[in-house]
Amino acid sequence: MRAVRLLMAGFCVAALLGAQQFKFNLDHLAAKAKEKVELTLNKQMLQFAGGFLNSKDPDEAKAKGVISGLEGVYIRSFEFAQDGAWTAADLDQVRNQLRAPEWARIVGVQSTEDKENVEVFVRTEAGKVNGIAILATDPREFTVANIVGNISLESLADLGGQFHLPKMRTTPATPPPAKKKD
Amino acid sequence: MDWLEEELKSALSRKEPSEGFDARVTAAAQRRKVTPMPRRWLAAAAAVIVLAGAGEGYRWHQGQVAKDQVMLAMRIAGGKLNRVQTQIAGERQ
Repeated sequence: MRAVRLLMAGFCVAALLGAQQFKFNLDHLAAKAKEKVELTLNKQMLQFAGGFLNSKDPDEAKAKGVISGLEGVYIRSFEFAQDGAWTAADLDQVRNQLRAPEWARIVGVQSTEDKENVEVFVRTEAGKVNGIAILATDPREFTVANIVGNISLESLADLGGQFHLPKMRTTPATPPPAKKKD
Repeated sequence: MDWLEEELKSALSRKEPSEGFDARVTAAAQRRKVTPMPRRWLAAAAAVIVLAGAGEGYRWHQGQVAKDQVMLAMRIAGGKLNRVQTQIAGERQ
């Protein structure tokens, strides 16, 4: 009976994580966080939410357009009260899953001023981008996001320009700038 | 025994109904047909309406929660991408 329950729980977890493209394994950080955001939005949830987004509201209309092609959005964002709550090993265990040939790091920026580090990876399958990973850290913050689905660089730029923020200018024909930075 | 027989005959003899008896019976039968729905049915109908309303309200609440989560996800992801864009734009200049 216990084995059946465990099997059923396993199926439930597998169904929940079905579309997620890499594991977060960050529960130990969640316990230490002062503030945390843990979002697990699968396709059904996105479709359900889409029905409640108001097309007359510019922000919501834009979000509705962006999520229409997505299979899932998975975010873990932790804010800590003190520096050093997370280690390089935490970042590496996520980063190590984002490897070629499926994943490619398209951009990585590091700010020496506020010690912030943001990396963006894209996942391609049959020449088509089907997922994005964002790793963003600073001494008191650790954020990982996995946006799954048929998302183009243009919609990525839309996402960046959302909420009255300036749009990210992408030029798909030129090589990604991150390669040069590395 | 004669007086008893007479009494019985008198008591059991056929009597014509009073005038308007058939009209009164018909009217009573009609009234019975249009009797309002019993209270238990009204209560059941009210319960169904309340449950349906509560279900719809719960669904609306769940939708608002889901919408807020999507908007928060957009805000977080968009904010991080915007940071990248700002940094790149700054370096280009």
